[in-house]
Amino acid sequence: MLDALIAWTAGTFGEGPAGTLAYLTNGKHLAFYASVRFTLIAAFAGAAIAVVCGLLGTAALRSRIAPLRWIGTGYTTIVRGVPDVLFFLFLPLAFEQSVEWVMAQQACPAEALAESGRWPPCQAAQWFLTTTDYLVLACFTLGIVYGAFAANVINGAMNAVPRGQLEAASAYGFTPGQVFWRFQVRQMWVYALPGLSNVWMLLLKATSLLSLLQIQDMVLWANRIGAPNFIPRVGAVHGDWRWRYYLALFVFYILLTLLSEHLFRRLQRNASRGMAIG
Amino acid sequence: MKTVRMLVPALALALGGTAGTALAADVRIATEGAYAPWNYLDDSGELAGFEIDLGNALCERAGVECEWVQNEWDSIIPNLQAGNYDAIMAGMSITEERMESIAFSDAYYPPDPSRYLTTAGTELDIENLEGKRIGAQGATIQAAYAEETFGEDNTILTFETPDQSIADLMAGNLDLIIADGSYLMPIAEGSNGAMVLTGPYVMIGNGVGMGLRQGEDELATSMGEALEALKADGTVDALIKEYFDAGPFFAE
Repeated sequence: MLDALIAWTAGTFGEGPAGTLAYLTNGKHLAFYASVRFTLIAAFAGAAIAVVCGLLGTAALRSRIAPLRWIGTGYTTIVRGVPDVLFFLFLPLAFEQSVEWVMAQQACPAEALAESGRWPPCQAAQWFLTTTDYLVLACFTLGIVYGAFAANVINGAMNAVPRGQLEAASAYGFTPGQVFWRFQVRQMWVYALPGLSNVWMLLLKATSLLSLLQIQDMVLWANRIGAPNFIPRVGAVHGDWRWRYYLALFVFYILLTLLSEHLFRRLQRNASRGMAIG
Repeated sequence: MKTVRMLVPALALALGGTAGTALAADVRIATEGAYAPWNYLDDSGELAGFEIDLGNALCERAGVECEWVQNEWDSIIPNLQAGNYDAIMAGMSITEERMESIAFSDAYYPPDPSRYLTTAGTELDIENLEGKRIGAQGATIQAAYAEETFGEDNTILTFETPDQSIADLMAGNLDLIIADGSYLMPIAEGSNGAMVLTGPYVMIGNGVGMGLRQGEDELATSMGEALEALKADGTVDALIKEYFDAGPFFAE
Protein backbone atom coordinates (compact mmCIF):
# COMPACT_ATOMS: atom_id res chain seq x y z
CA MET A 1 0.00 0.00 0.00
CA LEU A 2 2.68 2.45 1.08
CA ASP A 3 4.98 1.28 -1.71
CA ALA A 4 2.26 1.79 -4.25
CA LEU A 5 1.62 5.27 -2.91
CA ILE A 6 5.31 6.18 -3.08
CA ALA A 7 5.59 4.77 -6.59
CA TRP A 8 2.55 6.71 -7.66
CA THR A 9 3.80 10.05 -6.29
CA ALA A 10 7.32 9.40 -7.56
CA GLY A 11 6.06 9.14 -11.10
CA THR A 12 3.65 11.98 -10.71
CA PHE A 13 5.62 15.03 -9.71
CA GLY A 14 8.89 14.63 -11.59
CA GLU A 15 11.51 12.37 -13.13
CA GLY A 16 11.80 9.51 -10.67
CA PRO A 17 11.99 9.81 -6.89
CA ALA A 18 14.89 12.29 -7.00
CA GLY A 19 13.01 14.57 -9.40
CA THR A 20 9.90 14.37 -7.27
CA LEU A 21 11.85 15.20 -4.15
CA ALA A 22 13.52 18.15 -5.88
CA TYR A 23 10.13 19.39 -7.07
CA LEU A 24 8.49 19.01 -3.68
CA THR A 25 11.33 20.85 -1.91
CA ASN A 26 11.80 23.83 -4.23
CA GLY A 27 11.39 27.31 -2.79
CA LYS A 28 7.78 27.57 -3.85
CA HIS A 29 6.91 24.41 -1.96
CA LEU A 30 8.92 25.46 1.07
CA ALA A 31 6.93 28.69 1.14
CA PHE A 32 3.78 26.57 0.88
CA TYR A 33 4.84 24.43 3.86
CA ALA A 34 5.92 27.48 5.85
CA SER A 35 2.53 29.08 5.34
CA VAL A 36 1.14 26.44 7.70
CA ARG A 37 2.26 28.80 10.49
CA PHE A 38 -0.53 31.25 9.67
CA THR A 39 -3.09 28.47 10.00
CA LEU A 40 -1.68 27.23 13.31
CA ILE A 41 -1.32 30.71 14.81
CA ALA A 42 -4.87 31.58 13.80
CA ALA A 43 -6.16 28.29 15.25
CA PHE A 44 -4.37 28.51 18.63
CA ALA A 45 -4.66 32.26 19.20
CA GLY A 46 -8.24 32.15 17.91
CA ALA A 47 -9.05 29.33 20.33
CA ALA A 48 -7.49 31.16 23.28
CA ILE A 49 -9.54 34.26 22.52
CA ALA A 50 -12.64 32.09 21.97
CA VAL A 51 -12.30 30.59 25.47
CA VAL A 52 -12.02 34.09 26.98
CA CYS A 53 -14.99 35.31 24.95
CA GLY A 54 -16.88 32.16 25.89
CA LEU A 55 -16.31 32.67 29.63
CA LEU A 56 -17.24 36.35 29.40
CA GLY A 57 -20.30 35.41 27.34
CA THR A 58 -21.36 32.85 29.93
CA ALA A 59 -20.87 35.35 32.74
CA ALA A 60 -23.09 37.79 30.87
CA LEU A 61 -25.71 35.13 30.13
CA ARG A 62 -25.93 34.16 33.81
CA SER A 63 -25.65 37.66 35.21
CA ARG A 64 -28.15 38.97 37.75
CA ILE A 65 -28.18 42.29 35.90
CA ALA A 66 -30.79 42.23 33.13
CA PRO A 67 -28.97 44.44 30.55
CA LEU A 68 -25.88 42.22 30.81
CA ARG A 69 -28.07 39.17 30.21
CA TRP A 70 -29.51 40.85 27.13
CA ILE A 71 -26.01 41.54 25.84
CA GLY A 72 -25.04 37.91 26.43
CA THR A 73 -28.14 36.59 24.69
CA GLY A 74 -27.69 39.04 21.81
CA TYR A 75 -24.03 38.07 21.39
CA THR A 76 -24.58 34.31 21.31
CA THR A 77 -27.70 34.46 19.16
CA ILE A 78 -26.51 36.94 16.55
CA VAL A 79 -22.95 35.69 16.18
CA ARG A 80 -23.96 32.04 16.00
CA GLY A 81 -26.56 32.83 13.37
CA VAL A 82 -24.33 34.69 10.89
CA PRO A 83 -22.14 32.63 8.50
CA ASP A 84 -18.49 32.78 9.54
CA VAL A 85 -17.39 33.77 6.02
CA LEU A 86 -19.45 36.93 6.38
CA PHE A 87 -17.95 37.68 9.77
CA PHE A 88 -14.50 37.14 8.35
CA LEU A 89 -15.15 39.76 5.72
CA PHE A 90 -17.17 42.10 7.89
CA LEU A 91 -15.26 42.42 11.17
CA PRO A 92 -11.75 43.26 9.87
CA LEU A 93 -13.07 45.70 7.29
CA ALA A 94 -15.43 47.37 9.75
CA PHE A 95 -12.62 47.63 12.28
CA GLU A 96 -10.18 49.08 9.74
CA GLN A 97 -12.65 51.68 8.59
CA SER A 98 -13.65 52.71 12.08
CA VAL A 99 -10.00 53.18 13.00
CA GLU A 100 -9.55 55.24 9.86
CA TRP A 101 -12.63 57.24 10.73
CA VAL A 102 -11.24 58.07 14.17
CA MET A 103 -7.86 58.92 12.66
CA ALA A 104 -9.57 61.11 10.07
CA GLN A 105 -11.42 63.09 12.75
CA GLN A 106 -8.09 64.03 14.30
CA ALA A 107 -5.67 64.25 11.40
CA CYS A 108 -7.62 65.48 8.39
CA PRO A 109 -8.40 69.12 7.61
CA ALA A 110 -12.06 70.14 7.87
CA GLU A 111 -12.51 70.63 4.12
CA ALA A 112 -11.32 67.08 3.45
CA LEU A 113 -13.82 65.74 5.99
CA ALA A 114 -16.68 67.68 4.44
CA GLU A 115 -15.88 66.37 0.98
CA SER A 116 -17.74 63.12 0.46
CA GLY A 117 -16.95 60.19 -1.78
CA ARG A 118 -13.34 59.69 -0.78
CA TRP A 119 -12.14 57.15 1.72
CA PRO A 120 -10.20 57.82 3.81
CA PRO A 121 -10.73 61.59 3.64
CA CYS A 122 -6.99 62.32 3.64
CA GLN A 123 -3.73 60.43 3.29
CA ALA A 124 -2.84 60.84 6.98
CA ALA A 125 -5.83 58.72 7.96
CA GLN A 126 -4.75 55.84 5.73
CA TRP A 127 -4.11 52.63 7.62
CA PHE A 128 -2.04 50.21 5.60
CA LEU A 129 -2.73 46.74 6.94
CA THR A 130 0.17 44.32 6.82
CA THR A 131 -0.15 40.54 6.94
CA THR A 132 0.51 40.80 10.67
CA ASP A 133 -2.40 43.16 11.21
CA TYR A 134 -4.68 40.96 9.16
CA LEU A 135 -3.60 37.89 11.09
CA VAL A 136 -4.32 39.58 14.42
CA LEU A 137 -7.73 40.67 13.13
CA ALA A 138 -8.37 37.13 11.89
CA CYS A 139 -7.52 35.70 15.33
CA PHE A 140 -9.94 38.09 17.02
CA THR A 141 -12.64 37.36 14.45
CA LEU A 142 -12.27 33.61 15.03
CA GLY A 143 -12.22 34.22 18.79
CA ILE A 144 -15.37 36.33 18.77
CA VAL A 145 -17.30 34.02 16.43
CA TYR A 146 -16.39 30.76 18.16
CA GLY A 147 -16.54 32.39 21.60
CA ALA A 148 -20.29 32.66 21.03
CA PHE A 149 -20.49 28.91 20.50
CA ALA A 150 -18.22 28.32 23.49
CA ALA A 151 -20.43 30.56 25.67
CA ASN A 152 -23.42 28.44 24.81
CA VAL A 153 -21.55 25.23 25.58
CA ILE A 154 -20.16 26.53 28.89
CA ASN A 155 -23.54 27.88 29.94
CA GLY A 156 -25.14 24.51 29.30
CA ALA A 157 -22.35 22.78 31.22
CA MET A 158 -22.87 25.09 34.21
CA ASN A 159 -26.51 24.02 34.28
CA ALA A 160 -25.51 20.37 33.98
CA VAL A 161 -23.66 20.33 37.30
CA PRO A 162 -26.07 18.52 39.68
CA ARG A 163 -27.83 20.96 42.00
CA GLY A 164 -27.67 18.43 44.81
CA GLN A 165 -23.87 18.68 44.88
CA LEU A 166 -23.99 22.46 45.23
CA GLU A 167 -26.59 22.22 47.99
CA ALA A 168 -24.51 19.60 49.75
CA ALA A 169 -21.47 21.87 49.51
CA SER A 170 -23.32 24.78 51.15
CA ALA A 171 -24.65 22.42 53.77
CA TYR A 172 -21.04 21.57 54.64
CA GLY A 173 -20.43 25.27 55.24
CA PHE A 174 -18.69 26.39 52.06
CA THR A 175 -19.30 30.04 51.24
CA PRO A 176 -21.30 30.84 48.07
CA GLY A 177 -18.04 31.91 46.37
CA GLN A 178 -16.39 28.62 47.20
CA VAL A 179 -19.42 26.68 46.04
CA PHE A 180 -19.31 28.54 42.75
CA TRP A 181 -15.58 28.22 42.03
CA ARG A 182 -14.70 24.91 43.63
CA PHE A 183 -17.83 22.94 42.78
CA GLN A 184 -19.78 24.44 39.93
CA VAL A 185 -16.95 25.85 37.79
CA ARG A 186 -14.59 22.98 38.55
CA GLN A 187 -17.15 20.37 37.45
CA MET A 188 -18.43 22.51 34.59
CA TRP A 189 -15.26 21.74 32.56
CA VAL A 190 -16.04 18.03 32.56
CA TYR A 191 -19.45 18.67 31.04
CA ALA A 192 -18.17 21.38 28.68
CA LEU A 193 -15.18 19.53 27.18
CA PRO A 194 -17.05 17.43 24.58
CA GLY A 195 -18.87 20.54 23.35
CA LEU A 196 -15.70 22.61 23.40
CA SER A 197 -13.87 19.98 21.38
CA ASN A 198 -16.60 20.37 18.78
CA VAL A 199 -16.15 24.13 18.75
CA TRP A 200 -12.39 23.66 18.34
CA MET A 201 -12.96 21.46 15.28
CA LEU A 202 -15.21 24.10 13.73
CA LEU A 203 -12.64 26.78 14.44
CA LEU A 204 -9.89 24.65 12.92
CA LYS A 205 -11.90 24.29 9.74
CA ALA A 206 -12.58 28.01 9.60
CA THR A 207 -8.84 28.74 9.43
CA SER A 208 -9.02 27.82 5.75
CA LEU A 209 -10.68 31.22 5.23
CA LEU A 210 -7.49 33.18 5.98
CA SER A 211 -6.76 33.87 2.32
CA LEU A 212 -9.91 36.01 2.25
CA LEU A 213 -7.87 38.55 4.23
CA GLN A 214 -4.93 38.53 1.80
CA ILE A 215 -2.96 36.30 4.12
CA GLN A 216 -0.77 34.04 2.00
CA ASP A 217 -1.93 30.86 3.70
CA MET A 218 -1.89 27.23 2.60
CA VAL A 219 -5.05 27.56 0.54
CA LEU A 220 -3.64 30.46 -1.44
CA TRP A 221 -0.34 28.65 -2.07
CA ALA A 222 -2.20 25.48 -3.10
CA ASN A 223 -4.06 27.56 -5.67
CA ARG A 224 -0.86 29.14 -6.88
CA ILE A 225 1.33 26.07 -7.15
CA GLY A 226 -1.43 23.88 -8.51
CA ALA A 227 -2.33 26.28 -11.31
CA PRO A 228 -1.42 24.97 -14.77
CA ASN A 229 1.89 26.09 -16.24
CA PHE A 230 3.07 25.66 -19.82
CA ILE A 231 6.18 27.82 -19.81
CA PRO A 232 9.38 25.90 -18.96
CA ARG A 233 11.31 28.94 -17.72
CA VAL A 234 8.62 29.64 -15.14
CA GLY A 235 8.96 26.20 -13.56
CA ALA A 236 7.73 22.64 -13.89
CA VAL A 237 5.34 22.30 -16.82
CA HIS A 238 2.09 20.67 -15.76
CA GLY A 239 -1.65 20.81 -16.22
CA ASP A 240 -4.22 21.74 -13.61
CA TRP A 241 -2.82 20.16 -10.44
CA ARG A 242 -4.88 22.07 -7.93
CA TRP A 243 -6.75 18.95 -6.83
CA ARG A 244 -3.49 17.36 -5.68
CA TYR A 245 -2.74 20.26 -3.43
CA TYR A 246 -6.30 20.42 -2.16
CA LEU A 247 -5.98 16.73 -1.37
CA ALA A 248 -2.82 17.45 0.64
CA LEU A 249 -4.73 20.12 2.62
CA PHE A 250 -7.50 17.61 3.09
CA VAL A 251 -5.07 15.14 4.65
CA PHE A 252 -3.48 17.90 6.76
CA TYR A 253 -6.82 18.86 8.30
CA ILE A 254 -7.77 15.24 8.93
CA LEU A 255 -4.48 14.63 10.74
CA LEU A 256 -5.06 17.73 12.87
CA THR A 257 -8.55 16.47 13.66
CA LEU A 258 -7.31 13.05 14.73
CA LEU A 259 -4.62 14.63 16.88
CA SER A 260 -7.14 16.99 18.51
CA GLU A 261 -9.54 14.14 19.24
CA HIS A 262 -6.76 12.25 20.95
CA LEU A 263 -5.74 15.25 23.05
CA PHE A 264 -9.30 16.04 24.04
CA ARG A 265 -9.85 12.45 25.14
CA ARG A 266 -6.84 12.70 27.45
CA LEU A 267 -7.99 16.07 28.73
CA GLN A 268 -11.41 14.63 29.43
CA ARG A 269 -9.88 11.72 31.33
CA ASN A 270 -7.79 14.09 33.42
CA ALA A 271 -10.65 16.46 34.16
CA SER A 272 -13.03 13.71 35.25
CA ARG A 273 -10.58 12.00 37.59
CA GLY A 274 -12.28 11.09 40.85
CA MET A 275 -15.71 11.96 39.52
CA ALA A 276 -18.69 9.71 39.05
CA ILE A 277 -19.20 10.91 35.48
CA GLY A 278 -17.22 11.21 32.28
CA MET B 1 -2.39 30.72 31.22
CA LYS B 2 0.67 28.80 30.20
CA THR B 3 -0.63 28.41 26.65
CA VAL B 4 -1.34 32.09 26.39
CA ARG B 5 2.13 33.03 27.58
CA MET B 6 3.64 30.69 25.01
CA LEU B 7 1.44 32.01 22.26
CA VAL B 8 2.47 35.61 22.51
CA PRO B 9 6.15 35.10 21.59
CA ALA B 10 5.16 32.57 18.95
CA LEU B 11 2.84 35.11 17.44
CA ALA B 12 5.45 37.85 17.55
CA LEU B 13 8.03 35.56 15.97
CA ALA B 14 5.84 34.43 13.13
CA LEU B 15 4.68 37.94 12.48
CA GLY B 16 8.09 39.54 12.61
CA GLY B 17 9.18 37.42 9.69
CA THR B 18 6.61 38.95 7.39
CA ALA B 19 6.32 42.48 8.63
CA GLY B 20 9.92 43.42 9.31
CA THR B 21 10.80 44.52 5.81
CA ALA B 22 7.78 46.75 5.24
CA LEU B 23 8.43 50.35 4.22
CA ALA B 24 12.21 50.01 4.19
CA ALA B 25 12.70 50.88 0.52
CA ASP B 26 12.51 54.21 -1.34
CA VAL B 27 10.07 52.97 -3.95
CA ARG B 28 7.62 50.11 -3.61
CA ILE B 29 6.49 48.49 -6.87
CA ALA B 30 3.44 46.25 -7.00
CA THR B 31 3.01 43.32 -9.35
CA GLU B 32 0.58 40.45 -9.64
CA GLY B 33 3.04 37.55 -9.75
CA ALA B 34 0.69 35.35 -11.77
CA TYR B 35 1.24 36.57 -15.33
CA ALA B 36 4.15 34.75 -16.90
CA PRO B 37 6.37 35.74 -18.58
CA TRP B 38 5.61 39.32 -17.47
CA ASN B 39 5.70 38.62 -13.75
CA TYR B 40 5.48 35.33 -11.89
CA LEU B 41 6.77 33.33 -8.97
CA ASP B 42 9.65 31.13 -10.03
CA ASP B 43 10.33 27.70 -8.57
CA SER B 44 12.22 29.19 -5.65
CA GLY B 45 9.11 31.19 -4.76
CA GLU B 46 10.67 34.54 -5.71
CA LEU B 47 9.14 37.08 -8.03
CA ALA B 48 10.66 36.90 -11.49
CA GLY B 49 9.87 37.86 -15.07
CA PHE B 50 10.28 40.60 -17.64
CA GLU B 51 8.88 43.33 -15.44
CA ILE B 52 10.88 42.31 -12.39
CA ASP B 53 14.13 42.50 -14.39
CA LEU B 54 13.08 45.74 -16.05
CA GLY B 55 11.91 47.29 -12.78
CA ASN B 56 15.17 46.43 -11.04
CA ALA B 57 17.13 47.90 -13.95
CA LEU B 58 15.01 51.07 -13.79
CA CYS B 59 15.59 51.45 -10.07
CA GLU B 60 19.32 50.94 -10.46
CA ARG B 61 19.44 53.55 -13.23
CA ALA B 62 17.36 56.00 -11.20
CA GLY B 63 19.55 55.34 -8.15
CA VAL B 64 16.74 54.33 -5.82
CA GLU B 65 16.19 51.33 -3.59
CA CYS B 66 13.17 49.35 -4.75
CA GLU B 67 11.04 46.72 -3.14
CA TRP B 68 8.50 44.45 -4.81
CA VAL B 69 5.02 43.94 -3.43
CA GLN B 70 2.71 41.20 -4.58
CA ASN B 71 -0.88 42.35 -4.88
CA GLU B 72 -3.97 40.79 -6.41
CA TRP B 73 -4.87 42.20 -9.81
CA ASP B 74 -8.37 43.39 -9.03
CA SER B 75 -7.25 45.60 -6.16
CA ILE B 76 -3.95 46.73 -7.66
CA ILE B 77 -5.14 50.22 -8.72
CA PRO B 78 -7.13 51.02 -5.53
CA ASN B 79 -4.16 50.00 -3.39
CA LEU B 80 -1.85 52.25 -5.41
CA GLN B 81 -4.19 55.15 -4.78
CA ALA B 82 -4.39 54.19 -1.13
CA GLY B 83 -0.63 54.51 -0.87
CA ASN B 84 0.20 50.88 -0.13
CA TYR B 85 2.92 51.16 -2.80
CA ASP B 86 4.21 53.74 -5.25
CA ALA B 87 4.10 52.11 -8.66
CA ILE B 88 2.55 49.23 -10.62
CA MET B 89 4.37 47.03 -13.11
CA ALA B 90 1.93 44.26 -13.88
CA GLY B 91 1.47 44.05 -17.65
CA MET B 92 -0.99 46.91 -17.37
CA SER B 93 -2.10 48.48 -20.62
CA ILE B 94 -2.30 52.24 -20.76
CA THR B 95 -5.98 53.15 -21.35
CA GLU B 96 -8.05 56.31 -21.22
CA GLU B 97 -10.21 54.80 -18.52
CA ARG B 98 -7.29 54.01 -16.22
CA MET B 99 -5.74 57.44 -16.95
CA GLU B 100 -8.71 58.95 -15.14
CA SER B 101 -7.61 57.43 -11.86
CA ILE B 102 -3.84 56.95 -12.15
CA ALA B 103 -0.88 58.21 -14.19
CA PHE B 104 1.33 56.15 -16.50
CA SER B 105 4.95 56.25 -17.58
CA ASP B 106 5.74 55.94 -21.26
CA ALA B 107 5.12 52.44 -22.58
CA TYR B 108 7.87 49.89 -22.01
CA TYR B 109 6.15 47.39 -24.27
CA PRO B 110 4.42 48.37 -27.51
CA PRO B 111 0.66 47.86 -27.97
CA ASP B 112 0.17 44.15 -27.55
CA PRO B 113 -2.59 42.72 -29.72
CA SER B 114 -5.06 40.57 -27.81
CA ARG B 115 -5.60 37.02 -29.03
CA TYR B 116 -8.14 34.25 -28.70
CA LEU B 117 -7.15 30.89 -27.25
CA THR B 118 -9.21 27.74 -27.60
CA THR B 119 -8.75 24.00 -27.34
CA ALA B 120 -7.49 22.02 -30.34
CA GLY B 121 -10.20 20.97 -32.76
CA THR B 122 -12.68 23.66 -31.73
CA GLU B 123 -14.09 25.50 -34.73
CA LEU B 124 -15.13 29.02 -33.89
CA ASP B 125 -16.50 31.82 -36.03
CA ILE B 126 -15.26 34.77 -34.02
CA GLU B 127 -17.38 37.23 -36.04
CA ASN B 128 -20.62 35.43 -35.15
CA LEU B 129 -20.18 33.89 -31.72
CA GLU B 130 -23.40 32.74 -30.13
CA GLY B 131 -24.11 30.82 -26.96
CA LYS B 132 -20.40 30.47 -26.19
CA ARG B 133 -18.66 30.69 -22.84
CA ILE B 134 -15.88 33.25 -23.08
CA GLY B 135 -13.25 33.70 -20.38
CA ALA B 136 -11.16 36.74 -19.47
CA GLN B 137 -9.39 38.03 -16.41
CA GLY B 138 -11.56 40.45 -14.45
CA ALA B 139 -10.87 44.20 -14.68
CA THR B 140 -8.82 43.86 -17.86
CA ILE B 141 -9.26 45.61 -21.19
CA GLN B 142 -10.15 42.23 -22.69
CA ALA B 143 -12.95 41.66 -20.19
CA ALA B 144 -14.43 45.02 -21.11
CA TYR B 145 -13.97 44.29 -24.82
CA ALA B 146 -15.58 40.83 -24.56
CA GLU B 147 -18.53 42.21 -22.63
CA GLU B 148 -19.07 44.93 -25.21
CA THR B 149 -18.56 42.77 -28.30
CA PHE B 150 -19.95 39.37 -27.32
CA GLY B 151 -21.88 40.06 -24.13
CA GLU B 152 -25.31 40.04 -25.71
CA ASP B 153 -25.29 36.55 -27.24
CA ASN B 154 -22.68 34.81 -25.10
CA THR B 155 -21.72 34.24 -21.48
CA ILE B 156 -18.66 36.18 -20.35
CA LEU B 157 -16.86 34.70 -17.36
CA THR B 158 -14.19 36.66 -15.54
CA PHE B 159 -11.46 35.17 -13.39
CA GLU B 160 -9.36 36.56 -10.57
CA THR B 161 -6.12 35.26 -12.04
CA PRO B 162 -5.44 34.40 -15.68
CA ASP B 163 -4.22 30.86 -14.93
CA GLN B 164 -7.65 30.01 -13.53
CA SER B 165 -9.15 30.80 -16.93
CA ILE B 166 -6.60 28.51 -18.60
CA ALA B 167 -7.49 25.70 -16.18
CA ASP B 168 -11.18 26.16 -16.98
CA LEU B 169 -10.53 26.15 -20.72
CA MET B 170 -8.64 22.87 -20.38
CA ALA B 171 -11.41 21.42 -18.24
CA GLY B 172 -13.91 22.21 -20.97
CA ASN B 173 -15.78 24.84 -19.00
CA LEU B 174 -14.93 27.57 -21.49
CA ASP B 175 -15.08 27.71 -25.28
CA LEU B 176 -12.43 30.37 -25.64
CA ILE B 177 -10.31 32.90 -23.79
CA ILE B 178 -9.37 36.41 -24.79
CA ALA B 179 -6.18 37.85 -23.28
CA ASP B 180 -2.93 39.62 -24.16
CA GLY B 181 -1.18 37.85 -27.04
CA SER B 182 2.12 37.96 -25.16
CA TYR B 183 0.51 35.98 -22.35
CA LEU B 184 -1.33 33.43 -24.50
CA MET B 185 1.37 32.72 -27.08
CA PRO B 186 3.85 30.90 -24.78
CA ILE B 187 0.95 28.93 -23.29
CA ALA B 188 -0.24 27.78 -26.71
CA GLU B 189 3.33 26.80 -27.60
CA GLY B 190 3.94 25.00 -24.32
CA SER B 191 0.69 23.05 -24.43
CA ASN B 192 1.94 20.79 -27.26
CA GLY B 193 -1.03 21.54 -29.45
CA ALA B 194 -3.68 21.00 -26.78
CA MET B 195 -4.56 24.69 -27.00
CA VAL B 196 -4.35 26.89 -30.08
CA LEU B 197 -4.54 30.57 -30.93
CA THR B 198 -7.37 31.39 -33.26
CA GLY B 199 -9.16 34.25 -34.96
CA PRO B 200 -8.03 37.80 -35.60
CA TYR B 201 -5.64 39.99 -33.63
CA VAL B 202 -7.60 42.49 -31.56
CA MET B 203 -5.93 45.85 -31.11
CA ILE B 204 -6.98 47.35 -27.78
CA GLY B 205 -4.81 49.27 -25.34
CA ASN B 206 -1.93 51.63 -25.95
CA GLY B 207 1.09 49.69 -24.84
CA VAL B 208 2.10 48.62 -21.39
CA GLY B 209 3.45 51.15 -18.92
CA MET B 210 4.25 51.70 -15.28
CA GLY B 211 1.26 52.88 -13.26
CA LEU B 212 1.89 55.78 -10.87
CA ARG B 213 -0.19 57.93 -8.56
CA GLN B 214 -1.33 61.17 -10.13
CA GLY B 215 0.58 64.24 -9.01
CA GLU B 216 3.75 62.43 -7.95
CA ASP B 217 5.84 64.23 -10.53
CA GLU B 218 9.21 63.61 -8.93
CA LEU B 219 8.92 59.82 -9.14
CA ALA B 220 7.34 60.03 -12.60
CA THR B 221 10.24 62.15 -13.87
CA SER B 222 13.01 59.98 -12.43
CA MET B 223 11.40 56.75 -13.66
CA GLY B 224 10.63 58.35 -17.04
CA GLU B 225 14.25 59.40 -17.48
CA ALA B 226 15.53 55.99 -16.44
CA LEU B 227 13.18 54.29 -18.90
CA GLU B 228 14.28 56.66 -21.66
CA ALA B 229 17.92 55.78 -20.98
CA LEU B 230 17.27 52.01 -20.89
CA LYS B 231 15.37 52.21 -24.17
CA ALA B 232 18.25 54.12 -25.76
CA ASP B 233 20.99 51.72 -24.60
CA GLY B 234 19.04 48.66 -25.74
CA THR B 235 18.32 47.17 -22.30
CA VAL B 236 14.54 47.17 -22.79
CA ASP B 237 14.81 45.57 -26.22
CA ALA B 238 17.20 42.93 -24.91
CA LEU B 239 14.80 42.01 -22.11
CA ILE B 240 11.87 41.85 -24.53
CA LYS B 241 13.96 39.60 -26.80
CA GLU B 242 14.83 37.40 -23.81
CA TYR B 243 11.31 36.98 -22.47
CA PHE B 244 9.06 37.31 -25.51
CA ASP B 245 11.39 36.62 -28.45
CA ALA B 246 10.06 39.79 -30.09
CA GLY B 247 11.31 43.20 -31.13
CA PRO B 248 13.41 45.24 -31.28
CA PHE B 249 10.84 47.97 -30.68
CA PHE B 250 12.80 50.87 -29.24
CA ALA B 251 16.10 50.80 -31.20
CA GLU B 252 17.12 54.21 -32.52
